[in-house]
Amino acid sequence: MGKYFSIFTLTLKEYFAYRLNFLIWRLRVFVGFLIPFFLWLTVIKEVKNFTGYDKQSIVSYFFFSHLLAYFILGTRTVDISSKIQNGEIINLLLKPMSFFYYYFFRDLADKILNLLLSFFEVFLFFKIFSISFPSANFQFLPFFFLFLTLGLFLSFYLNLLISFLGFWSTEVWAPRFIFFILISILAGNFFPLDLLPKKLFSLIILTPFPYLFFLPVKMISSPQTLMDKINIYFLFFMGSFWLIVFFFLARFFWQKGLKSFSFWGR
Amino acid sequence: MIFVKNLTKIYKVYRKTGNLIKDIFFRRYEDILALDEVSFEISKNELVGFIGPNGAGKTTTLKILSGILYPTSGKVSVLGFPPFEKKEAFLKQISFVMGQRNQLIWDLPAIDNFLLNKEIYELDEEKFKKNLQKLTAIFSAEKLIQKPVKMLSLGERMKMEFIAALLHQPKIVFLDEPTIGLDIFSQEAIRNFIKDYQKEFQATIILTSHYLEDVKRLAKRLIIINRGKILYDGSLTKILQKFSSVKYVSLILEKEVKKEVLFKIGKPIAYQFPKVVFRIQKKDLPQVVAFINDQIPYLDLAIEDEKIEEVIKNLFENHKD
Amino acid sequence: MFKKIKRNLKIFLLFGYQSLKTTGQSRQAIFLFTLGKILRFIFLFGIIFLVFSKTKIIAGWSLKQVVILYLTFNFIDTFSQLLYREVYRFRTQVISGNLDLILVKPYHPFLRVLVGGVDFLDLLLLIPYFFLLLFFIFQEKISFFSFFLYLTLVVNGLIISTAFHIFVLALGLLTTEVDNAIMIYRDILNLGRFPIEIYQQIVSFIFTFIIPIGVMITFPVKALFNFLSFNNVVFAFFISFFLLSLSIKLWQIGLKKYQSAGG
Repeated sequence: MGKYFSIFTLTLKEYFAYRLNFLIWRLRVFVGFLIPFFLWLTVIKEVKNFTGYDKQSIVSYFFFSHLLAYFILGTRTVDISSKIQNGEIINLLLKPMSFFYYYFFRDLADKILNLLLSFFEVFLFFKIFSISFPSANFQFLPFFFLFLTLGLFLSFYLNLLISFLGFWSTEVWAPRFIFFILISILAGNFFPLDLLPKKLFSLIILTPFPYLFFLPVKMISSPQTLMDKINIYFLFFMGSFWLIVFFFLARFFWQKGLKSFSFWGR
Repeated sequence: MIFVKNLTKIYKVYRKTGNLIKDIFFRRYEDILALDEVSFEISKNELVGFIGPNGAGKTTTLKILSGILYPTSGKVSVLGFPPFEKKEAFLKQISFVMGQRNQLIWDLPAIDNFLLNKEIYELDEEKFKKNLQKLTAIFSAEKLIQKPVKMLSLGERMKMEFIAALLHQPKIVFLDEPTIGLDIFSQEAIRNFIKDYQKEFQATIILTSHYLEDVKRLAKRLIIINRGKILYDGSLTKILQKFSSVKYVSLILEKEVKKEVLFKIGKPIAYQFPKVVFRIQKKDLPQVVAFINDQIPYLDLAIEDEKIEEVIKNLFENHKD
Repeated sequence: MFKKIKRNLKIFLLFGYQSLKTTGQSRQAIFLFTLGKILRFIFLFGIIFLVFSKTKIIAGWSLKQVVILYLTFNFIDTFSQLLYREVYRFRTQVISGNLDLILVKPYHPFLRVLVGGVDFLDLLLLIPYFFLLLFFIFQEKISFFSFFLYLTLVVNGLIISTAFHIFVLALGLLTTEVDNAIMIYRDILNLGRFPIEIYQQIVSFIFTFIIPIGVMITFPVKALFNFLSFNNVVFAFFISFFLLSLSIKLWQIGLKKYQSAGG
């Protein structure tokens, strides 16, 4: 396990190697938070209440969404495709450690760092703008952890799957781009998914997107409004279903990719 | 054509201490003296070779002469222009080729790149065609120019680079490690090309290289630079005169000779019967030869100069202080 | 003088043509990227309707006005991405040393590093965005003067965008540390998708007067509907001139401090 821990610390060190870059990264993450946050805050100002959201729950939703979005979605697996292209992946395969574990721990470092920093930044932000700090809803904590874990692994395998495209094609950024757009809209980044009209919402529940971070966020911010509408066990079932699908797909394409891999490139 | 007086260039580099906290909050910058009051002059139709170890200042010099880098202090004038100002009239008369670096657009055939250069350097149709033909002929590369650059081997790509760089008949050509990484045949081809080009177009060529072969074949004048200072500026042949105090004497012995006798000459640097090689100071040569003639039964005697590589290496070693 | 313009135009077109040839080689990517951009456009457009399904007005803006703002944003954003795509590759050119070979050529380096990689894919989207924009504008009662002011301020916004891109280039000369400077510009620009007034006081102030996204996008639309004060119009032109001059000066300083890669 020691080797995975050092991968963890190494990833952290890489961040601090470039200070200016690091600051800019934080700024970017923060700016991304501002847009939907202020948008919906302005809406709430006009209309004190809509579809089960008031000022408190909207602030709460975006606060947790910001914290958890990167925690769940952020990943280093994007560099897998380029490593496949230039053959660097061979180095990883030849080392005495699991490829999956390696990336998992790299991602973990990434996520934890981001979580701590985001928390700190938003805390400062709320203090400066005298916005009341949202409280976490501990009522359904076990469900929160359940869906959080689900989201983490789902995101991990989904990201891996996209990266494995690198085994068959040089054009990975295009599909990754589409994936990124789909996620940023459908996962709940820009607006709480349950704001959608009922029909659309019931459709989205069937896709893997809400299980990435919308559900864990809901569980910790305002679970009641969701629980009233939909059976929680059904949601859990759907989420697990997608997780299993992507788990097997990722492993399958990994094996296949390794076999057909011909180390092309320079 | 090129006048350089007391040129100095200092780089600011920040030093990583490895300590995480120090590197974030207390950064230390170091001044690196890349060129230290360097002076030289180069006239028309000269072919000058710059030699020096990595970090000596060769590439920095070339980049300052071509206007890429800004000198920290000193005077530089190329073709009557201060290079850094990068005036169009100046840039149109120079060319820079870097070994292993491509300015050609990867996905397109070389000929497209040449046409682009034609526009950039404002060459008229006739001149362009004539130069293209001449240059392609020297390399026998008529077929190659139609292939997309990414499909060419490194050697072929460098040939295309050269053609692209010389289409506009520059008066001064800067070559930074032009043959690096190339196979022997490509290296030969490039060297011959440079020689022919100079003969044909009477250009001034400044070349840096790690391969002494490049310099030996092409340059009559050699500038040796180390740690920002010029150690030698003169002809290639004179360097041996000036810096070499050593000769190599090799003998093919007729029969076994006692060790003590051989050692009277000196400690051999190689001894595998029947061949023995000695390294002798020039001044001692006459008496050594006399001694050999007198005391040693040999079949063959050869006296050779120190290799230029050795001379230069020693020069750098001594400059290490 | 005229000859010079002609020549620069020729070089610009040549680079554009080569850029087109290069991108044209990967049809799958073209298709997917365009699809992705269209999806994003539709989705975000949809969000506007979602927002307005809950309220009639946000920060004093009506649905129609927000739609026009969003389309104006898209136009300015796509136009600058189309033109300045090469800025995204600048860092690679600095690190690889290719920049040196560009600096040594007898044309202004901007022709290559700023506008040398025109992305014609974006042109495919720009045209529909443009027509969509005009369609929505002409649905409203707009005076000729307001429309003219709007156009001038849009051009002004493009000048500010140019200044930002040159800043990114200058930054690339001064340090190789930053690999995502252009992306921060894009992220901040995204704030302009919605009226700048939705961001509260200080944030709104910063993004209007200090990093003038508001000037780029919100101002022209406000002028269109006649709520832009004269002072703000003057400020808009002043800031673009100021930022452009500053960015060019920074680029020139960058050239002097440039240390080049390798050797």
